[in-house]
Amino acid sequence: MEILELKGATKCFGGLTAVGDVNFTVPKGTITGLIGPNGAGKTTIFNLITGVYKVTRGNILFDGKDIANKEPYLIADVGITRTFQNIRLFKKLSVYENILTACHNNAKYNVLDAVLRLPQYKREEKQLKEQAENLMEIMGLKDRRDLVANNLPYGLQRRLEIARALALNPRLLLLDEPAAGMNPDETDQLMHLIFEIRKKFNLSVLIIDHHMDLVMGICEKIMVLNFGCKLAEGTPSEIQNNTKVIEAYLGVEG
Amino acid sequence: MDTYVQGILILAGINLMAVLGLSLLTGFTGLFSFGHAGFMAIGGYTAATMTVKFHWPFIPALLMGGLMAALLSVFIGRLTLNLKGDYFCIATLGFGEATRLILDNVQYFGGARGWPGIPNYTTLTNVIFINIIGIIILANLIRSRHGRNMIAVREEELASQIVGINVFKYKMMSLMISASYAGIAGGLMAHYMTFLQPKMFSLIKSTELTIIVIFGGLGSISGSVLGAVVLTALPEVLRSFASWRLVVYGLAVIIIMISRPEGLMGGYEFTPSSMRKLFSRLKKKNITAEGGK
Amino acid sequence: MVQFLQQLINGLSIGSVYALMAVGYSLVYSIMNFSNFAHGGVIMFGAYFGFFFLTLFHFSFPVAFVSAALCTALLAVLIERTAYKPLRERKAPFLYFIICAMGASIFLENLVIAIPAIGPTFRTYPEIFSKEPFHLGLLTIGRLDVLMFIISAVCLALLVYFIDYTKVGKAIQATSYNIKASALMGINTDHIIIIIFALGGLFAGIAGVLFGMKYTVYPQIGMITNKSFIAAVFGGLGSLPGAVIGSILLGIIETFTSGYISSQYRDLIAFVLLIGILVVRPSGLMGKTTEDKA
Repeated sequence: MEILELKGATKCFGGLTAVGDVNFTVPKGTITGLIGPNGAGKTTIFNLITGVYKVTRGNILFDGKDIANKEPYLIADVGITRTFQNIRLFKKLSVYENILTACHNNAKYNVLDAVLRLPQYKREEKQLKEQAENLMEIMGLKDRRDLVANNLPYGLQRRLEIARALALNPRLLLLDEPAAGMNPDETDQLMHLIFEIRKKFNLSVLIIDHHMDLVMGICEKIMVLNFGCKLAEGTPSEIQNNTKVIEAYLGVEG
Repeated sequence: MDTYVQGILILAGINLMAVLGLSLLTGFTGLFSFGHAGFMAIGGYTAATMTVKFHWPFIPALLMGGLMAALLSVFIGRLTLNLKGDYFCIATLGFGEATRLILDNVQYFGGARGWPGIPNYTTLTNVIFINIIGIIILANLIRSRHGRNMIAVREEELASQIVGINVFKYKMMSLMISASYAGIAGGLMAHYMTFLQPKMFSLIKSTELTIIVIFGGLGSISGSVLGAVVLTALPEVLRSFASWRLVVYGLAVIIIMISRPEGLMGGYEFTPSSMRKLFSRLKKKNITAEGGK
Repeated sequence: MVQFLQQLINGLSIGSVYALMAVGYSLVYSIMNFSNFAHGGVIMFGAYFGFFFLTLFHFSFPVAFVSAALCTALLAVLIERTAYKPLRERKAPFLYFIICAMGASIFLENLVIAIPAIGPTFRTYPEIFSKEPFHLGLLTIGRLDVLMFIISAVCLALLVYFIDYTKVGKAIQATSYNIKASALMGINTDHIIIIIFALGGLFAGIAGVLFGMKYTVYPQIGMITNKSFIAAVFGGLGSLPGAVIGSILLGIIETFTSGYISSQYRDLIAFVLLIGILVVRPSGLMGKTTEDKA
């Protein structure tokens, strides 16, 4: 069963085709990897899935429904969220506030409830706060609760971004280079964390990263992108032995 | 109370009402408006029409002024809130000036010559009362998911979208509430001055409101209150300083942005809990100081 | 027909001065991506510099003209150094730039009012050129209008030459295209920013003097210069040809409005036009539309 399916997804910027006719699927409950050399169009695919860019041609199906060209916030409502390559936190807010803000859709009270502090507001606000505390606990951010996001160490900023994404209760989580700038130790921790959250939150993960140990270590399926086109698709061992992939990464000998 | 002091306080209260609204828009949602005087004008002329021409009571007339300003803001917002960068602020500049210039030509309201004879309904009591309600509504809003979403929009639009915040909707909500505050402030002003003239709502008025918000601190309601009272009272107290007032304001804005862009309050609020924290911190300091001796 | 041509000529003349002012807005926008509202204040200072050089120091017209332009160039650079540079270095959000620009504009305008020797009074430039107009068939063309048009056209032509054919000009183009990449390619973007502010200031001074000669000098000239800002938006902020075309069009639309409808609506038309263009095509007539990169 596929949670996400790209059918001939194409994105052109003027004359440049950043992503050309890409077909691939993310099976439900898996961790799928998206790799490729720099400029291959990986982040562009994330931007297409999350509605940041409009698709030039093709379809993007989430749980069988076409979500291409929807506004990003609607795609978040459907159950897809992401992190960014160049971390985008609410910089001046605290760790707690970052997560609490993202919990917003789990409450339904309206402006009037809030202004008059009606029971629904109080009840739901309490739930949101519990959820936020809970997420901080899971992600190991509890002791940095009131620290401003911008002052967090780099690794924890990445963690916070994942925590914020989880606040939406997503069904598909897109991680854009979560291990960028991390040392092997931290990368290892991150791997475990991704495993853990998949189990705990029962979600599917699509991950872009250049750390091959990470990608080969946790992904059940990998797609390789080169110059905006699909180069190969398969299990980690299949990809490792694929001559085309080796060529793209290391160049052709002779 | 001395009528002179009373007058200053009423003016401060009127400014505060408009500043509270602008604070929500600029300080909490990150949108810069050059046209809030336009919303004040709409509110002022509407409220005055209601009391003078239709003999409505004061409070409903005020609310009508706020409502009209909000309606107009929906129209403006629909057209311009999707614009990137400072285009929204440019559009509000156009709106504010256009409103003033249109009113200059509406003879029904006395055109550029002005409209005298509006009843004097605004008193210190009702100004304070309305402002307290305004502050409570704003404070409650800010501490709800809706307020947090507005702050998120200010911080990072794309990330807001990704966590499911309808950026346009929240900008619109902020603009509407902001405009209705300005509209009510305009109504209060009309019934305090007993006279309306389009010139009262020029670009300078808009920028003055923004200066107060910046002075008090972007993202702080307490700051806006402090800013409105201080910056309204100060020039009244220092009469001889009057001609230099705006020179100093302009310079102060630059200095604030360069050295302390978070303004006087820097995002902090005077709330019972924050005061308690402050006192306990001071106490601790005293104890350690004494212990040092 | 005669009236039509007459209005067209008047419109061209005022539009060309708007263009001089508008390029200042556009130059700064093209590189720093914010609306430099302080530019209006600089234009106003230009008008005063020219006035005092002529009346107080009794400079000859060309000397006063050039000195005023140099002074405003210096002023514009000074504003950039004190108000914007600290923000740039801190990578402050663009909102802060606009607020700072607004502060600078309030400061400049009210400084002139507050200085007792200048004050809010209206001042008239001494008569340098005879008021006797040229007659061209049934058309009458003021000497000043011709002068305004010629000076503006020459200045704009020089600017185009500078931007398109000199090394510095090419560096400006590169910087406006991508400031970070330009810095990496060895362009000193800090110098480029000084240059564009100096250029904008230079033109502001020229425009200020011309404007002061045509009308009068008073502290709120900045309010009128807002219209050149509208022209820049109309043509597409950040685009120089856009700024010129937008200005000429605005000048013509304004004179036609006051000629055929009523001068009362002249200012209103400008602001309605501003909102209209923002709604229909926010990037203006010639502005670039870009898709944000995430």
